[in-house]
Amino acid sequence: MDHFPTNWGRPRNDAYDAYNTYPLHHRPSAAPGHDKFADAVQRTQQPIVTGTSVLAIQYKDGIMMAADNLASYGSLARFKSIQRLHAVGTNTVLGASGDMSDFQYIQTLLDELVTDEFTHQDAHSLGPAEVHEYLARVMYSRRSKFDPLWNALLVGGFKDGKRFLAYVDLLGVTYSAPSLATGYGAHIAIPLLREVVDGRQDTLTEEDARKLLHDCMRVLFYRDARSLDKYQLAKVTESGVEISDSIKIETAWNFAEGIRGYGAQTQ
Amino acid sequence: MFLTRSEYDRGVNTFSPEGRLFQVEYAIEAIKLGSTTVGVRTPEGVVLGVEKRVQSPLLESSSIEKIMEIDTHLGCAMSGLTADARTMVDHARVTAQNHAFTYDEPIRVESATQAVCDLALRFGESVHDEEALMSRPFGVALLIAGVDENGPQLFHTDPSGTFVRYEAKAIGSGSEAAQSELQDKWRSQMTLREAHLLTLRVLKQVMEEKLDQHNVQLAQVTPTKGFEILNEVRLKEIIDEM
Amino acid sequence: MPDGSFSNPQQRQFNPYSDNGGTILAIAGADFTVIAGDTRQSEGYSIQTRYAPKVFRLTDRAVLAVNGFAADGNMFVKKVKQRLEWYRHAHAKDMPLRAIARLIQTMLYAQRFFPYYVYNILGGIEEDGSGAVYSFDPVGSYEREACRAAGAAQSLVQPFLDNQIYFKNQAAAPNQPHPAHLPLSDVLAIVIDSFTSATERHIEVGDGLEIYVVLAKGRSVQGLEGVRSIQELSTKSDGDRVFVIRRDLKKD
Repeated sequence: MDHFPTNWGRPRNDAYDAYNTYPLHHRPSAAPGHDKFADAVQRTQQPIVTGTSVLAIQYKDGIMMAADNLASYGSLARFKSIQRLHAVGTNTVLGASGDMSDFQYIQTLLDELVTDEFTHQDAHSLGPAEVHEYLARVMYSRRSKFDPLWNALLVGGFKDGKRFLAYVDLLGVTYSAPSLATGYGAHIAIPLLREVVDGRQDTLTEEDARKLLHDCMRVLFYRDARSLDKYQLAKVTESGVEISDSIKIETAWNFAEGIRGYGAQTQ
Repeated sequence: MFLTRSEYDRGVNTFSPEGRLFQVEYAIEAIKLGSTTVGVRTPEGVVLGVEKRVQSPLLESSSIEKIMEIDTHLGCAMSGLTADARTMVDHARVTAQNHAFTYDEPIRVESATQAVCDLALRFGESVHDEEALMSRPFGVALLIAGVDENGPQLFHTDPSGTFVRYEAKAIGSGSEAAQSELQDKWRSQMTLREAHLLTLRVLKQVMEEKLDQHNVQLAQVTPTKGFEILNEVRLKEIIDEM
Repeated sequence: MPDGSFSNPQQRQFNPYSDNGGTILAIAGADFTVIAGDTRQSEGYSIQTRYAPKVFRLTDRAVLAVNGFAADGNMFVKKVKQRLEWYRHAHAKDMPLRAIARLIQTMLYAQRFFPYYVYNILGGIEEDGSGAVYSFDPVGSYEREACRAAGAAQSLVQPFLDNQIYFKNQAAAPNQPHPAHLPLSDVLAIVIDSFTSATERHIEVGDGLEIYVVLAKGRSVQGLEGVRSIQELSTKSDGDRVFVIRRDLKKD
């Protein structure tokens, strides 16, 4: 690397060559095709377009997962019909929060993996446990290169009569539990989910599971400023993966009319 | 001989139609030109003995090195192209030190032997466009002696990378006579001193010159003192006892 | 810039580490070793899961407890197990405890400039049949000890062990010196008390407790009779033996 600041292109700081004593055309960097930063590497240092919480629970017949359809650009609700649930093969569903471009990269990665596996034609297919292990390796190796995939992911599935539900994030941290949530959901929805699910995974009906997630998505929409009142639900059971169409959350805001005493509102 | 072997005895990685690798077989032949080397295992330790052919009265016999230390608990004696053995012993030493560094324990005799044999098979191998590490098989056989948690052990390695454990083994030019003598005289409950004497007697039988402390070398590996080459004073003591 | 927008350059740096709480502990007896850890995994004030094991059986005579950054911990255990398998293939035997200890040092130190953020405690039976505990720092410094606690509640548990195992601040009665080693039943009681107490006073400790017991070859199961929810994990019954005891801890 060139440590002489005037060779870094246009002065970026007046402390160096404030009066442009070094004519532009004399600068070595002015030569065409000469990029002083070409050998530097720019890595993901923050998420840009992001998805918020993903929720998932185990229930009687398998697992159920929910994520809304919003991809935010900072505080701007940028894309309002993004799908954040992705089927991986026939027994697995992946839900993503965090950076959406990194998620799309992960989708292509997994689709490639599933195709490769399929072409072997060896009567073996990737199950949720294998997909999760693979993702954990990818996420951990990327964090170890200081180039993380900026996501928190939930992997759920049902294969060979067994449920699977686990988490993996940008650090490569993994864990499994009867109810899981990423982002705000981990703070707001988890207590509600655990209350209903923990210890009742084998008896909880599909209808109850659906209602529970719906209620939690509503609470999140009320409380999480980066959420949307439109979400999709995925279930994985004996009969495979099903991802629903978008579901609208009905909300009532009339209670807000009577609220007084916050901020500038004094009356 | 060349009628049947021509065409298939040049490449080190070409099998003959009968399924033989002639270069490896020739390498094994080369060992039979080497001086006689003997190893004897006893419950008290392993003894290695070599004949040093002193070709000329001007030759300094102490400069002939045919027994080498691999680790404090491991040693080896050689026969054949002894220069090739340096590469093998070097590899064995590094492997043994690496093992001790990583695992805080002495390497097992069989593992060290295996490491040497892994190297012996690397001839003709190359990676991508790089030159092969070695162009031909090693022309040397080793008797590797050592002590570990399985007690005193003696291994024989040859240029094909094969290794076998022996109670007593002779290699080199006089090996046939020496081996049958060992078969006659070796007993499972020998003392170390008896093994010293047996080794020297076997060497004496196959040597052309008269055996003395200058034209043979004796080494031993014991559980208590590990590998040691016997000095000429101790060697003379044993010769006198013969 | 004239507007001063660069006067306070800000850099946001990706932090590759996290702290996942929990506590581990090991105590060596004369011919046994006890290695234990809670099963809570947390980040900040959130409990990620109530069951994420931190203690792993490596061989019939070695058990490893790993605490700190969970992703590093899991990866480290995976790699240690892989090395143990390679060793078994190369040397036709299970790796001895002291060799595992040295291996762990070399593996940790190999990452000296991007460390595995984990505190390891290795427990088991030495070649001479004695119980042993080895404790490590994240970059591989290690020593053999009689007991060690590590993790979130180390500062609560270690002083308790110093008092109960090393008899620190306890004057021996005349002609009755302190014992060098405690019996298994006493050690188990101390371990359970350590974790119930740590659960009481530390928010990152709780949910479940896994206690591994390694018995030297030929030792009777004295001290394990009548113990609830115990399970044997040994692969053969005529060598050293490994057991695991699972207990609930408070979940609040």
